[in-house]
Amino acid sequence: MRRSLRSLGGAYALIAYLAVSGRWATAIIAAVAILFLGVAGTILYWMRFQYRVGQDEIRIDSGVISRRHRSIPFDRIQDVDITQGPLARLLGLAEVKFETGAGDGRRPEEGALHAIALARAEEIRALVRGSRSAAVAPVPAAQEHAPIFSMNLDRVLLAGVFNFSLALFAGLFGLSQTVGQPLGIDPFREEFWRKLFAASAPLENFVLTHRAAGVLAGIVLLLLIGLATGIVRTALKDYGFRLDRAGMGLRRRRGLLTKTDVTLPIKRVQAAIVASGPLRETFGWSELFMQSLAQEEKSRGNHELAPLARPAEVDAILEEIGWAPASGDFAWTHVSAAYVWSFALGLSPLLLVVMVQAFALWPLAVMFSAVLLALVGVRALAWRRIAYTVDGDRLLVRSGWWRRRLVLLPKVRIQSIDYRQNFVTRWFGTATLQLGVAGGRAQTHIIPAIPTAAARQLREDLLGSIR
Amino acid sequence: MGDADDLLPVEPAYKNVLRVRLTVTWLFLAMVALIARYALADVTRFAGLIPIAVLLIGLAVVAIAPTRIYRRLRYRLGDRLLQVVRGWLFHVDTVVPLVRVQHLDVVRGPFDKMFGTASLVVHTAGTHNSIVTVPGLTPGRASAMRDIIREQVRTDFA
Repeated sequence: MRRSLRSLGGAYALIAYLAVSGRWATAIIAAVAILFLGVAGTILYWMRFQYRVGQDEIRIDSGVISRRHRSIPFDRIQDVDITQGPLARLLGLAEVKFETGAGDGRRPEEGALHAIALARAEEIRALVRGSRSAAVAPVPAAQEHAPIFSMNLDRVLLAGVFNFSLALFAGLFGLSQTVGQPLGIDPFREEFWRKLFAASAPLENFVLTHRAAGVLAGIVLLLLIGLATGIVRTALKDYGFRLDRAGMGLRRRRGLLTKTDVTLPIKRVQAAIVASGPLRETFGWSELFMQSLAQEEKSRGNHELAPLARPAEVDAILEEIGWAPASGDFAWTHVSAAYVWSFALGLSPLLLVVMVQAFALWPLAVMFSAVLLALVGVRALAWRRIAYTVDGDRLLVRSGWWRRRLVLLPKVRIQSIDYRQNFVTRWFGTATLQLGVAGGRAQTHIIPAIPTAAARQLREDLLGSIR
Repeated sequence: MGDADDLLPVEPAYKNVLRVRLTVTWLFLAMVALIARYALADVTRFAGLIPIAVLLIGLAVVAIAPTRIYRRLRYRLGDRLLQVVRGWLFHVDTVVPLVRVQHLDVVRGPFDKMFGTASLVVHTAGTHNSIVTVPGLTPGRASAMRDIIREQVRTDFA
């Protein structure tokens, strides 16, 4: 129902337009018609939706016009996710999603049951788990051990501060461009502000005479709104975050309005990613993600195991799943400075643009060259942090300056290795290694600018252990 | 592993497949250029040059590219891995350990059928390189490679 309401966004814009251009009657008729169609469609869908939990499969029959009969054997189900939105929680309902580990997340709804009673949902999950691991004794539900990792309210709020976000403005911009136009609200045009201030003359005089103060106030307001947005979004997502051991997996519960309860099978983990940023690292915080074959709702295959944690806590989680710790003294190998120089070379055609501008408008030329220098500067900062090392049976890759990542990749999880060179990097004598790993996004495991001999040697080393 | 000696070239007939494929693409682009020429006739004086430019570039590509691509395409089926090498300006050397292969296809497109070639398509579990292709093989060789690799596959995502 939620989804069908959302997809009617265009209809809302139409109704808004009709409403403000004075055609009330038409607007009301359109609204009623759409509401009726939406409700009728949803009711029809639910009347025709049936599911049955069999001995070793789930059968789902759905569809109004074109019927679909789907059978999901328990063997194919990796695990069962239970989600409760705020409204669903009030009514004691939950949404059940079956994770089947399909590769690219192209079919996120392999099987989903909406609006099931919570007790029934948990029954189904216990049943699926029980039939999958008949050899493992089921953990009695009454026992609640101490969590592996949890976040109290203070830490959630702190995480919100780090997640400073100006997304609100992006949203407002979008809103002003669609619904705002017919309503005459467009904060990006000067007349709007003039008209607003004209309504209160003293304010207008004040702002015009104290421009500097106005700008300062604007910036402070921006910062406050960014902080508030970040805190609210993080609190909604990560309130009550806790990570527990659940049989052969890690169970993660979090959420304020929408509570989610997801279990990540340990055997499906392909790689671990410790992420951080310049500000976070100064204060000693990082995030822990798992790249896994099972699907994650939002971050496309990377499950978040710890939104904000100290290095010791990250190591504790890694130890729980049987991996070696992430912190420690490693013998890092850095990559060649060609990483920066080839980038600068790639940008050099833009210098022509600068020269043209220098003749026409020299302030513009200065600004543009400043931007180019900044880009190369950021690249140089990132270069100093890029490093890799082979630590026993795993590969560690460190990268980035603004988005810092440390990837822990067991050698056995590498599916393929590309040795890449283009005509520029060949001239510098370096190559890039790109590793194929299951799950997650395609571009994430790259080691750039390795001298060619070392690159071939590294590939030999990584693949040599695969039997 | 990077020895140029062990790497085998594919069938010469693959050059013809490439030529035909490129010709079809550039004919299509030439039509688009003609449409653009008439659409932009009022906008700019240079509209007349568009189809000429596209035609010249297309001729150059169809004449030169297939041979160069063919010369740089090499593959090797080792006892534990499959290696495919492509390109010079943008050189990519892909290695897939045979035990990591998910499944295999032998594909023959319409142009392949005209010139008697086939492609071996190897699927892996990684999101990068989820498909690795060795084009321009003889159908017999492609099927033989598929059978050899199938023996070695041992993926366990239990």
